[in-house]
Amino acid sequence: MRLYAAAVYLFLYGPIALIVLFSFNSGRHAASFECCATFWYSRTFNNTFLIEALLNSLLIAGTTAVLATIMGTMASLALQRVKGPLRLIFDALTYIAIIIPGIVIGIATLVALVTAFDILNPWIASLGLGDARSNTLSLGYGSVIAAHTLFTMALVIIIVRARIQGMDRSLIEASADLYATPWATFRQVTFPQIFPAVMAGFLLSFTFSFDDFIIAFFVAGSETTLPIYVFSSIRRGITPETNVIATVVLTVSLTLLIIAQVLTRSRADRGGGKG
Amino acid sequence: MPKKIDDNAPISAKKFMDELRRYERGSVSRRHFLGVTGLGMATSVMAGAVPMLAGSRGANAGSIGDRVSMATWPNYFDTANFETFKKDTGADVQVSVFGSNEEMLAKLQAGGTGWDVFVPTNYTISTYVELDLIEPLDLSRLPNFVEKHYIKRFIDPGTVNGKVYAVPKNWGTTGFVLNRKKVKSNPTTWKEFWDLSRTSATGRVMVHDYQLTTIGNALKYFGHSFNSVDPKELADAEKLLLDVKPHLFAINSDYQPGMRSGDAWMSIAWTGDGLQLHRDIPEIDYVLGKEGGELWSDFYAIPKGAPHLDAAYAFINFLIDPEINAKEVHAHGYPVPDARTTALLPKEMTQDPIMYPAKDLLDALEFGAAVTLTDPLRAEIMARFKAA
Amino acid sequence: MASTGNTGGPNNRVTAMLLLPTTLWFFLLLVMPLVVIAVYSLGERAPAGGYQPALTLAQYGNLLARLKAFTNTLTLAPLGTVLCLLIAYPLAYYLAVKAGRGAKPFLLTLVIIPFWTSFLIRTYAWIYILGGRGIPRLLEMIGIEDVRLIYTPTAVLIGIVYGYLPLMVLPIYVSLEKLDKSLLEAASDLGASPIRTFFQVTLPLSAPGLVTGSLLVFILLMGEYLIPALLGGGKVFFVGNALVDLFLQSRNWPFGSAVAIALVGIMLAAVALYLTLVGRDRDRQNVSVL
Repeated sequence: MRLYAAAVYLFLYGPIALIVLFSFNSGRHAASFECCATFWYSRTFNNTFLIEALLNSLLIAGTTAVLATIMGTMASLALQRVKGPLRLIFDALTYIAIIIPGIVIGIATLVALVTAFDILNPWIASLGLGDARSNTLSLGYGSVIAAHTLFTMALVIIIVRARIQGMDRSLIEASADLYATPWATFRQVTFPQIFPAVMAGFLLSFTFSFDDFIIAFFVAGSETTLPIYVFSSIRRGITPETNVIATVVLTVSLTLLIIAQVLTRSRADRGGGKG
Repeated sequence: MPKKIDDNAPISAKKFMDELRRYERGSVSRRHFLGVTGLGMATSVMAGAVPMLAGSRGANAGSIGDRVSMATWPNYFDTANFETFKKDTGADVQVSVFGSNEEMLAKLQAGGTGWDVFVPTNYTISTYVELDLIEPLDLSRLPNFVEKHYIKRFIDPGTVNGKVYAVPKNWGTTGFVLNRKKVKSNPTTWKEFWDLSRTSATGRVMVHDYQLTTIGNALKYFGHSFNSVDPKELADAEKLLLDVKPHLFAINSDYQPGMRSGDAWMSIAWTGDGLQLHRDIPEIDYVLGKEGGELWSDFYAIPKGAPHLDAAYAFINFLIDPEINAKEVHAHGYPVPDARTTALLPKEMTQDPIMYPAKDLLDALEFGAAVTLTDPLRAEIMARFKAA
Repeated sequence: MASTGNTGGPNNRVTAMLLLPTTLWFFLLLVMPLVVIAVYSLGERAPAGGYQPALTLAQYGNLLARLKAFTNTLTLAPLGTVLCLLIAYPLAYYLAVKAGRGAKPFLLTLVIIPFWTSFLIRTYAWIYILGGRGIPRLLEMIGIEDVRLIYTPTAVLIGIVYGYLPLMVLPIYVSLEKLDKSLLEAASDLGASPIRTFFQVTLPLSAPGLVTGSLLVFILLMGEYLIPALLGGGKVFFVGNALVDLFLQSRNWPFGSAVAIALVGIMLAAVALYLTLVGRDRDRQNVSVL
């Protein structure tokens, strides 16, 4: 059993080790390996495109995660008081948003936005707002964030609602009985209880958005996110730079995970497997 | 189409008169006339209307905005030049790379790309004009484009209905690369290429994920035109492709890694990739099929609705500056149809048979046609081939 | 603001306000786009590509031309899911039941970490490993010649298992963790063989995690594009690849829309079928461990 587990970990980490190893490549191409240099690290940090793509991805993932978490949590809180057909419609939409493949979301969003922009842009121009020559509305950060938020918001709704369902209701009732305002009840009773789920939703949203290629591929317009950059560098023959970025991202997230683990343990909380 | 390649000699007296007559008839614009005859440079210099002439690039720093966005092909630029441009003008260069003209067209058709400059291939330009996706160029804003220095056949596709929409970037050929250590015979034709891929090189051959070149070169097996859209001829090509499919290593336009690792022994390839591979791995050779195949030229153009029009002009003008252009060639290995740039290249390059193939091989090649790219049947055959 | 119990006007208004952004999002970015592609799927391809209005079912009639993409997807997606399941289950079991208390959080984190590296780069790493200089070279050393892995369906399956294993391990682990160990002890005290205990106690109790995990992986695989694109070398063709080609190569938007609608239809049907088969009462619990 233990041997089996070790074999699976080897399977999971072999390729990652290879990525890290190749980031110390001193050759010109990622396809062959010559040991060892940190030369590609300095090159990477001077590559404006890569850095810009990384920053774009961070910006998009950050905004997406914040929007999805806030809106998803708001909806989860509201939904527990909604019953009947409205509830049914909401549930259905939430599951559909999760089930529909990213590639279909990407395509449908692209087609719909382009159709909408074609109608709206001349109209905006005729109102004298915006620049008549270039289009006021176009694909970019906004459309990627909007499309990512759809999926991640549904994810947050599902996670947070599960937590709400398992929540201790007596505390809320007690709070109301003590004439606390709804806001105070939310802040002091409800929110602390659902916080782990909100946090898990935030992290999952961030991870999803940061790693998504296919939706951004369709709706990013002229913006380049990190996965789009990596995809096009695979296309043009990858250089060790991409491995460097992967290694850096891995190191940063590893550090964050360790910090999170240490924090949760010092709070004497059990587990912490989510996220 | 095949014609002698060195059209870039100073304009002859007869040609000057021809152009003058065309200008008088009104069939060419004044700008075209001035450009072709070389008078353009003189007039524009005298008029002092040159915003960014070569030596004085830094003069207008900051006035063109903070960025310019370009859509181009992989391995097709020198990033050091972009840094120079940023230093000179303050504008950051943002690059997206694409795998095929179809993809670029698809993105532009979908709209909202935000690109300022893009790099269409010869056969796409008339389609872009038809779909109203491309901006006619104001050549007075591209003083570095001096028509007389260019090879005519590589300029022509940029002009549609007498209007100039695009200026030449590079030209090149579509042949195949082969690893001499692995492939023991010496294929020189497309027929041999396809036959080898089904026999001794089975499982070791790559073709482009691009219908224009893959179907085009399958058509050459039967001696049909690279550009054929005849259903009967295309049926031949489809039959060949379906027959070859199980023997292929991959259908992928990213063939450098496969060739470098030795997994692939042959692949359909473009000039620059052939040169780059040959430079690093001498046993990899670049071959033009004797039956012919594709000759192409790429252009710089501005899409309709480009958000940073001033930057777009400044950037194109910067890139076709001979000195900058020569640096580009060093980086990617594709020849330039501009004599001023070619003059700056070292002998190893100008005498390289990959960059400048022999005349008889070149003469057999044909330009891709607009309909070759947009033909729905060809698209469908490619899809069937891939899905088979 | 979110307290329960109160009823009446102001509260309804609060509820409505809380739901407003989500409603807007669902409408503008889910319902509208789906309606738009449904409309497009009834249109025709414009001569130079794109969409031109029409009212025809021709695109749906043409779906058979992509039959291979659908059959590939419908074979490799379930196959990949089952492989993931078979490999993930013992690991999840080990983590939940056998691993020591101290090592557990660490080992669990190790399953999550790959998730934080770029999916693309992790997949790309397999191009080296399966390529001529990787495993085939090693096999050559021990005398097994001419093995080709890269750009085959096998490569795609390996990529699938590699990419989605963590997604399968976590839900199964969560449901096994909840499993009351005294039940296992009781079973063995009553003389049940370990195998019997596993099939009669452990497996049924971990079913929710199993269902969630396979559902998640299956859903993602049905829309997969990257793995076949990178490891299939353009020869292993999923519906996702057909879609990208239709929109980005042949620019046949109406046909692409029809393929997309068909894919969504098949997926909804498959998910509904699956959930009915495994029992309706569980589905709430399932997705909640996500």
